[in-house]
Amino acid sequence: MMDAGRHPNIRLLSYSEVVEVHGYVGNFQVRVKQKPRYVDIERCTGCGACVEACVWKDRVYSEYEAGLGLRGAAYIPFAQAVPMKAVIDPNSCLFLTRGKCSQKCVQACEARAIHFDQKEEFIDLKVGAVVLATGYELTDHPSLARYGYGLYDNVIDGIQFERLSSAAGPTGGRIVTRDGRVPETVVFLHCIGSRDEDAHEYCSRICCMYGAKQAHLALEKTGGRVYQFYIDMRTAGKGYEEFYKRMQHEGVRYIRGKVAEVVPDAENGKLLVRGEDTLLGRYVEIPADLVVLLTAIKPAEGSRELGKLFGVAVDKDGFFAEAHPKLRPVDTTTDGVFLAGCCQSPKDIPDTVAQASGAAAKAIVLLSKREIEIDPTVAEVDRDKCSGCGECILACPYHAIERVEGKAQVNIALCKGCGTCVGACLAKAIIGHHFTDEELIAQIEGIFEREPEYSFP
Amino acid sequence: MTTTPEPFEPRIVGFLCNWCSYAGADAAGTSRLKYAPNLRIVRVMCSGRVSPELVVRTFREGADGVMVLG
Amino acid sequence: MNRMGEYRKPRIGVYICQCGSNIAATVDTEAVAEFASRLDGVVLTRVNKYTCSDPGQATIRKDIQEQKLDRVVIAACTPRMHEPTFRRTLESAGLNPYYLEMTNIREQVSWVHPAGEAATHKAMDLVAAAVERVHLHRALYPRKSPIEPAALVVGAGIAGIQAALDIADAGYQVYLVEREPTIGGKMAQLDKTFPTLDCAT
Ligand SMILES: Cc1cc2nc3c(=O)[nH]c(=O)nc-3n(C[C@H](O)[C@H](O)[C@H](O)COP(=O)(O)OP(=O)(O)OC[C@H]3O[C@@H](n4cnc5c(N)ncnc54)[C@H](O)[C@@H]3O)c2cc1C
Repeated sequence: MMDAGRHPNIRLLSYSEVVEVHGYVGNFQVRVKQKPRYVDIERCTGCGACVEACVWKDRVYSEYEAGLGLRGAAYIPFAQAVPMKAVIDPNSCLFLTRGKCSQKCVQACEARAIHFDQKEEFIDLKVGAVVLATGYELTDHPSLARYGYGLYDNVIDGIQFERLSSAAGPTGGRIVTRDGRVPETVVFLHCIGSRDEDAHEYCSRICCMYGAKQAHLALEKTGGRVYQFYIDMRTAGKGYEEFYKRMQHEGVRYIRGKVAEVVPDAENGKLLVRGEDTLLGRYVEIPADLVVLLTAIKPAEGSRELGKLFGVAVDKDGFFAEAHPKLRPVDTTTDGVFLAGCCQSPKDIPDTVAQASGAAAKAIVLLSKREIEIDPTVAEVDRDKCSGCGECILACPYHAIERVEGKAQVNIALCKGCGTCVGACLAKAIIGHHFTDEELIAQIEGIFEREPEYSFP
Repeated sequence: MTTTPEPFEPRIVGFLCNWCSYAGADAAGTSRLKYAPNLRIVRVMCSGRVSPELVVRTFREGADGVMVLG
Repeated sequence: MNRMGEYRKPRIGVYICQCGSNIAATVDTEAVAEFASRLDGVVLTRVNKYTCSDPGQATIRKDIQEQKLDRVVIAACTPRMHEPTFRRTLESAGLNPYYLEMTNIREQVSWVHPAGEAATHKAMDLVAAAVERVHLHRALYPRKSPIEPAALVVGAGIAGIQAALDIADAGYQVYLVEREPTIGGKMAQLDKTFPTLDCAT
């Protein structure tokens, strides 16, 4: 992380989003919107004085702590944030929401970096290659309510568990219930929203393993009982099966079965986890202090829209579609746009890093060419015949045709030579090079040439 | 006219998209699937290339059936 | 047509590939070649054991140069496999690569039909179609477009960071766009990571 922040060839544009894309492989023009941080990033030293001074300090749920910790309106996301700069949250800052605040942050900032009049900025970039790496989110599918998610304090998700376990987290690394008790029993529920036709059909792939990891941490830190309800354990990966075996030896209790519901036990304040042990064929009810849901991974919010900007489709589950499931797993159907990480499919860190290096290699290969050859089997408009009706513009799946001075014009770098415009042009004003009407008709004539000497077939 | 009853052998022309159905026809070959030899395939880069006139023209040239597969 | 706009009859070479026995066991390749030799514009036909092999390509190159071929038809496997190969062959013999027409008598004939007349006839029809078509081919020239030596990486989780570092290390400018105030993504939130239980950040 730090390396990316200080690499001389990397310009970091945080708090920013891509809003417009033009061009084609080798020549993309990209417009990026940088949201106002209300902090001058050049001046801010990351000292944290504004964070301390903020009148709204510790009154907002921290995204980084997954809602288990608090922050202020002026905050630094976490201790190793890159860039290590403060940001003022426009949704909670008193001044920005209500226009009234004593602005203690401004007074506290010796670098005079806080500027409430900062506006969003647009930055135009020219690039030859693009890597999409927008990652994932955990599902919040409505069916999760049956496991008490969002209803009971001590039903948490995997990321919340990570924050509890982290020494830098809200509890200093102590795994405790919301009311501060060390749990006697922690129950993990696998495949929540994954492999579930009502939510997400696919396997999220990482949960069996991080469930095992978290079981280990729970055992180590609480000394209590740790249960895992699973459907199938999937621990393919180097050293993974061994890790799972080790967890079984450490005393993690694996129960094969899916939990039906999690309900509170009014008598002792515990949660009752009810399900079936399908190996023993019997009903089980486990009183738990902490229930961890290993929830499905889904594509990041907004990936579909981002994909549209780059002409990259998403698959039925919303992940970016690779050009070929086996042979081109990091390419997309848009030349020059590559994929890395969980935005393409759920995967763990080793696979993410491998794919990211693959995408980088593809981008480097492209950039190192300096020049690209554009296949000449593209469409070309005969301006004399074109009536400017625009049918071809509507028909073109690649947005490669524009109207220039009232007539259609093909951008050959975007044209993939599919010929849809040729088929659609009523005036026959478009030549599909290498697939002209004449060529196709000659080919058809050839098919029937052998007659009548021989009989078909 | 002669009336020797010959079995009807339809002459079918198929316009197949290079990226999907043509690749599919290749896959049928790779898997050694068998189908009737009455089909002659014309490769196009997209089934969208095939205009109605081309279909009519193919019938006129003598086809008994035309398939456009995308 | 030549430069003066007058019609000059093309000189077409037709190559029928046996692909070992992959095609030859089903299609009578000699009969197809004989049929092809009578087609308009065809000045040379050959049957090859493996047209895509180095000697097979060398023959084509030699024929283009010595027999002054200006069009080439190859009846072999799917063009999805070897069209790029044979286009390069033409180019290396000084002929525009778009004067090539391939027709598929393996995946779409010999592998899907039983041996016999029907398969041979189908191959003939496809060869005739290719010959008709190649008559009308024109020389095409790829255009060149410069590449901007910079990359955009969208999303700065571990995937985006890794990709950005690799590209930057190769000496290219990288723009790393992250929508949150900090980079790191989910990995920055993890405590220890499996299977080695080392720290995430
Ligand atoms: C609870 C839990 C524990 C885990 N434990 C482990 C473990 O121990 N070992 C292991 O190998 N794996 C583990 N994983 C998996 C690991 O988190 C992922 O493999 C990894 O984080 C994927 O990285 P990524 O960069 O693809 O996605 P992310 O980390 O999601 O990063 C994506 C980034 O893109 C940004 N972004 C999204 N959309 C946009 C946009 N439109 N514009 C700009 N930026 C955008 C996001 O803000 C984010 O910073 C765990 C996962 C979970 C949920």
